[in-house]
Order: sequence, then structure tokens, then C-alpha cells
Amino acid sequence: MTTGDTAVTPMVHAIDEIVAQPGEGKALLDDYLAHYALGARARGMKLEQILVSPPMWLDDQSNTLTFRWSLAGAGAWWQMRFVGGNDPDVAAWWAEVDVRAVSRRRFFASEPADIEGLCDV
Amino acid sequence: MYKLTRLVTLADPASAPALADDIRALAAAYSVSRQLVAPTLPGSHFGGDLIAHFAFDDAAQCAAFDTALAPLLAVPTVVSVDGVAYQSGAGGRSDPGLANGVYRVLLLSVDEGTDPALVERFEAETRMMPHYIPAIRNWQLSRFDTATGARRWTHVWEQEYADAAGLMGPYMMHPYHWARIDRWFDPECPDHIVDARLCHSFCAMQASVL
Repeated sequence: MTTGDTAVTPMVHAIDEIVAQPGEGKALLDDYLAHYALGARARGMKLEQILVSPPMWLDDQSNTLTFRWSLAGAGAWWQMRFVGGNDPDVAAWWAEVDVRAVSRRRFFASEPADIEGLCDV
Repeated sequence: MYKLTRLVTLADPASAPALADDIRALAAAYSVSRQLVAPTLPGSHFGGDLIAHFAFDDAAQCAAFDTALAPLLAVPTVVSVDGVAYQSGAGGRSDPGLANGVYRVLLLSVDEGTDPALVERFEAETRMMPHYIPAIRNWQLSRFDTATGARRWTHVWEQEYADAAGLMGPYMMHPYHWARIDRWFDPECPDHIVDARLCHSFCAMQASVL
């Protein structure tokens, strides 16, 4: 992907999808922002979007929290990965989340227009 | 094919050439089908100072050489050894005549108690890396028979490249690696099943050993 003669690094996205334990959605969101987001930003991640489903706080059922982060290409992704993957505090955070969640996914994505550039390595 | 790989960390990396000579001399006296003994290249991570890799036609030859090699590595100048003995697993060769390339080996440890179906899925996805990343010229994914070192190594993932740029560039930067395979390794991903401690080691090779 280029703009004029300047190559633009394809943006990549890291998406956390957390199905909270019933009644835990709001507290988990608050803790995610208070305890995880700060460190994630320091690892080069930019929080682009938060979604809550359903759009109300359930006290007897699960809310699904979705966090979409962006990173400036595969190089930034690996920087995030090396730092976060070797930080015991990060591992401890996710272990705590996994107790408070019914299920969790983390996956990585891009816009379709960026696929060709990301695969051209 | 039965194989033996040792990643040797030395108190003084400058002693690697002398030890390599001794190991090659020993290998010459045994029924070694293929051997690669070479200093690791910069960028290796927990990969030792010396890669010693051997292939044999049968398990007995492999075991006999392993026994003979052990005293050479049980000396004060050797700080640690990570290694595996294994029967060749599934592999492929798109460039069997590859010369003056780079051999890379990854030792990894799948967590004990992992669902065998998950392990098979991890293996199947890993075996598809060369399909998506042509810079991987030759490759082999094997389970270990015996392992030694910092972890209870369970798998060895070997590849050959035309040069180190193939490893550091296409292999590392292709999305099939970081956006697909790495979730098995990433402690932040709930899918992870591989211990964070890995041995990533690579060296120059004159001819393919896979």
C-alpha cells in the first residue's frame, strides 16, 4: 500500500474477545483498562475500539468484551510480542482474566487491502 | 533416519572451532550419514555457541555415537548442552541441492498434559509454514525420543534457507507466522501450549542436511 511515493506500513490489529463470567463484565472492563491497557500502550499498541455485547451490563449472564488494538506493521507486532511475552506480570494478568472469563480469544487481523503488502515479505 | 542434535554453550565461544574439530573427527569414525558442526550465527537465542547435528541410518548407530560424543561435551569448558535424539518426522524439500545456505533448528517444549488433538493441530499448522513461506527451502518437524537441557524438549522444527535473510525476513515477518502459528507460543494467547523457553539456533551450512 502506498501513498504517492511513500510506502505506508500496513496496520495490523490485535483483538481480544473476552466472555466475562456472569455479572463480571463491567469490573473486568475496568480492570482491563486500569491494569492491562497502560502496559499494552507502552508495548506500542494503540487501543482503537472497545465493544460491549449486549450493550448493557448483565448481572446474571455474560457480557462479551471486545478490544481492538492497532500496531504499525509486523515489526511493531514482534516488538509487542517479545516484550509482553517475556513479562511475568502480563502472564499473571491473563491468568487472572482466565479465572474471571468463561472464554477468551486473541487473534490478529488486517484490512483486506493490506493483505498483499503484509504477505510481500 | 535417526538424528542427534546438540546445541553447545561454551564458557569461551572462541573455543568453538577446536571443539568442532574434535567432534568432526569423532563423527568420521562412526557411521554418520550426514553431519553439520558449525558455530551459531548472531541472532540465535538460547541456541548455544555450536550446533552439532548428525543423521544415521538406524537407532543403534545414533545411540552409539551419542555415547561416544558425551565425554567431549562433559568438560569444564562446556557450560550447557540442549539437545535431542529423534527419528525424522514429516518433512519436505523444495531445494534438496541447496548449498552454502543456513540451517535453523528450534527446540520447543509443549506443556505436559496438553490435549493430544491440540498437539496434532499445532503440528499440522506448523507443517504448512513452507507452503505459505517459500523462503523455507527444506524442512522437517519431529517429535523427540530423548531430550536434554533446559526443558523437556518435545519437538524439533528444522528448516533450511538460502541465507539468513530468508529466516530473519520472510520466515519471521510473514503473517502465517506471527498471526497464525505464533498463538501456540504466545503466553498472551489462550491457545498457547508451548513453553516460552525455546532454543532458536542457526548456522551456516555447506550442503543440505535435511
